Amino acid sequence: MTDNLSNFTSLPEKQLVELDSLCGWSLSLLELQEAQRQFSKMGRQPTRGELETIAQTWSEHCKHKTFSGPVAFRDGGKTKKYKNLFKETIVKATRTLNRKWCLSVFTDNAGIVEFGKSGKWGLAFKAETHNHPCAVEPYGGAETGVGGVIRDILGVGLGAKPVLNTDSFCFGYLDGKKKLPKNSHSPERIMRSVVEGVRDYGNRIGIPTASGGLYFDDGYLLNPLVYVGCAGLIPVDKIEKKVVPGDLIVSIGGRTGRDGIHGATFSSANIDEETTASAVQIGHAVNEKKTLDVLMRARDLGLYNAVTDCGAGGFSSAIGELGSETGAHVKLENALLKDTRIEPWEIWVSESQERMILAVPKAKMKKLEAILKAESCEYCVMGAFPGDGRLLVAHGDESVVDLPMSFLHGGVPNFEKQATRRKVKISSAAPARPASYGQVLKEMLAHPNVCSRHSVITQYDHEVQGGTVIKPLQGKYGDGPGDATVIWPQAATLDQHDFSGFAVSHGFNPAAGKIAPYQMALHSVDEAVRNLLCVGAEISRTAILDNFCAASPRDPEVMGDLVLAAEGCHDAAVGYGAPFISGKDSFYNQAKDADGKEYPIPMSLLISATAPVEDIRKAITMNFKEAGNPVYLAGTSRRGMGGSVYNDMAASGNNFISPLDIKAAVKLYSAILKAIKSGCVAAAHDASQGGLAVTLSEMAFSGGFGAEIDLTWAAREKGLSPLELLFGESPARLVLEVLKDKETEFLKLIKGLPVCEVGYVKEEPSLCVLDGGERLFWEDINALKNCWKRELI
Amino acid sequence: MKPKAIILRGTATNCDIETFNSFKYVGAEPELVHINQLLAGERKVLDYDIMAFPGGFSYGDDISAGKIYAVKMAKLSADFKAFIKGKRPVIGICNGFQILVKTGFLPENKANAQVSTLYTNDCGHFLAKWVKVRINRDSPCIFTKGLPEEIELPIAHGEGKFIVEDKKIMDSIISRDLHVMTYRSNPNGSMLDIAGITNAAGTCFGLMPHPERNFFAWQNPDRPAAAREAEAAGWQFFKNAVDYVG
Repeated sequence: MTDNLSNFTSLPEKQLVELDSLCGWSLSLLELQEAQRQFSKMGRQPTRGELETIAQTWSEHCKHKTFSGPVAFRDGGKTKKYKNLFKETIVKATRTLNRKWCLSVFTDNAGIVEFGKSGKWGLAFKAETHNHPCAVEPYGGAETGVGGVIRDILGVGLGAKPVLNTDSFCFGYLDGKKKLPKNSHSPERIMRSVVEGVRDYGNRIGIPTASGGLYFDDGYLLNPLVYVGCAGLIPVDKIEKKVVPGDLIVSIGGRTGRDGIHGATFSSANIDEETTASAVQIGHAVNEKKTLDVLMRARDLGLYNAVTDCGAGGFSSAIGELGSETGAHVKLENALLKDTRIEPWEIWVSESQERMILAVPKAKMKKLEAILKAESCEYCVMGAFPGDGRLLVAHGDESVVDLPMSFLHGGVPNFEKQATRRKVKISSAAPARPASYGQVLKEMLAHPNVCSRHSVITQYDHEVQGGTVIKPLQGKYGDGPGDATVIWPQAATLDQHDFSGFAVSHGFNPAAGKIAPYQMALHSVDEAVRNLLCVGAEISRTAILDNFCAASPRDPEVMGDLVLAAEGCHDAAVGYGAPFISGKDSFYNQAKDADGKEYPIPMSLLISATAPVEDIRKAITMNFKEAGNPVYLAGTSRRGMGGSVYNDMAASGNNFISPLDIKAAVKLYSAILKAIKSGCVAAAHDASQGGLAVTLSEMAFSGGFGAEIDLTWAAREKGLSPLELLFGESPARLVLEVLKDKETEFLKLIKGLPVCEVGYVKEEPSLCVLDGGERLFWEDINALKNCWKRELI
Repeated sequence: MKPKAIILRGTATNCDIETFNSFKYVGAEPELVHINQLLAGERKVLDYDIMAFPGGFSYGDDISAGKIYAVKMAKLSADFKAFIKGKRPVIGICNGFQILVKTGFLPENKANAQVSTLYTNDCGHFLAKWVKVRINRDSPCIFTKGLPEEIELPIAHGEGKFIVEDKKIMDSIISRDLHVMTYRSNPNGSMLDIAGITNAAGTCFGLMPHPERNFFAWQNPDRPAAAREAEAAGWQFFKNAVDYVG
């Protein structure tokens, strides 16, 4: 087996591939042959440690070969070629927009934008996925997913203080009618474990988990998606980091063990029966909290020149990254271990959690040690960054790696991926009319993709740090579903007289992606921006993150979805003036069951968005506030039931997705923001999953008020049916409650825009909706709430 | 002179900074002090006027919530006892309350032994939500003076079920009105809906809800109706402590 290492450079193709699968590297033949060539040139055979280092550094997880590689997209008779899909779509939008408030984009562990009025702070934001680990071991996978993204924030610049965690999950339907594949966990078991993992880690470390989402689709039965995000505050003068030759390599926090060997390479493979849980790390939140406390103190005292986290690839990628210019000399025998049976190469690539690598000037080591001891945080000095550009890793007398840095970070061989447009039959026929709109509404409110998320949210400490001023649960009874979360980071700024804050929201719509991936991307960015608008955030300063999750990129249709969605991201970012500041992608979310059947996930794009809130005291919530206030519908309702929750419940015979008019949306939103800032708006709530009827219901029962609504004069596309009006999910629409004595001012601000008065808030607890003289439904708000307020777990 | 408040922290004390901010806002001079600093003799609790045990998951809540922190305090027990006996204000919030219970400082007893516990919530897991609590206005507690009969505060705990094994001890809590705060709708299964208790002097107070999270009106989930005034119910707890020593 691994004896083959002694004649690695002369191995034939077949044995190379066998060696790869035996060692779990997930390298392609092309990459293996490139490694062969390089070692032949050096005139020697590689060590196990060297090949492991290459497998980590070149992995999909670390290098994003698919998204950053060449793609040929065939669409009808035409072929469009990309040299680097990511750069030509996502990054291009950011470069075009060139916003001066973007302080760091795409280069560090997270993106950074300006925060507040003082000019002293930056806001770092990052979202990650931890899908593969959660498919195999959901609790551990979720825990370490949270831990990992927090370390991204700790490791951005010289370290940011985390003030918010986000979490968005996708699972198979809990009450699914589909028979479970042989080797799968039930979605309920996965969901419970994932929630518990996020809860136990996030709560212990003292960061509020206050924003996110839940989405169900049977495409996620074998491959749940777990998106975890983190936002943190960083002083603007701590954004630059640079290793100085001579600096010591110091590892702080957790110890190194055999958990998480090959996490990076394992995420570049489809999951099957052979997949082992030892690739999943074991989390320990308390160690990470110690690390956080040490870092913040040491950062402010200027005790280190650079920092990064040990994530995928462990020491090999963290030390390799920090030393990419200076080189690094590492003594593995100095590592603190939690398992003594570990091989030297395993120490080098282990992904054990809660470890951060610092570059510390020798003269400052004493001071750093004092802080580490004061916080009971373990550490070890692993070596130094010498300045000779070589990566030398040894364990005692044994040489583990001896390579020039340029070899690792130079050209990774990449090959062109084939992409093609997925064929979907579109029907835009008039949808069939249901027997009772009221009955549909009640079923819709209980649908897993619409109903209350309180049973998950209340398990998270979403208010620790005392800054969650617009909460995920809000309104009169503290249970209304918020559009965006607003954070007032008093625990980071230590200033209770500065009312600057920021909002965070999400957009996610894989159902639309199955039909039209390009529109899905537009709709998702629109939803995220609209959610920010609903709390009164400064949407002209929106910054967004992209997180793509897809099935195997070897499937040209999957790559076609990716190309279209990436193009959509570009156009939406430019259209809304909202640059991407960071992102991540996860491929191979495709599992095989015991019978060899493949289960690919639908193309899943999570857009996470953030925008400043100038005065957190003036941010608004979604529930109706006062009887007698007029209700307005902003935006034009358009035809099409494609991607709607309704279509999941009943066959409407229509799967058309109405295209988004970004220019009209931008104009509408900026007028509404003015109205919100001038205090005209008492409540705002977006129409998204479930459509307008769900929006109105949620605003009513979260405020304990009823409403009389007549949609007759609402802006709409010609030929729109009542079903499309109530339950269609056409984008760029929101419902506003306007303060009665500010209505005149409001009308001036929205003049000429498709914003129509559709009724008023009333004391009587019923929601009545009419259209063109017909009563569509009349329902008691408490009955609606009872349908909606389900205990999902 | 501003009263000096010691905000005691340890590994995974998480609510230390907002508690620090709250004391600063009401005019105290707060200082964050790690238990390691006390154990090393770098700081002395008796040099301070007010003591706070903030919320969090000290030492991961391993063994049981607050237990390890309480054990670490044992060596310094004489100083803590003197602080409490001297009627200097002590507040333990959430994990802080759990620590005060595990050390035996609350409920107050002659042996200074642990006579009660805060056990896993009846629902079996961590729970974060806003609750209505009744304030016992006959209680000697100095922290709750001037509060209305009912206020809203958020809870965020997994182990908040207050249990006393010995009926006599519970009787003495109730008969002396040492149960400062009770839930209107019990979220965790606490005996007699108890959310917070004090010592007889009214100066040592532990509670599960978080007053520092309802310090300003804009921290309330119901907005903007509630956001008209700046200070909210939680502010009063901190203000009272400063007024008491000042």
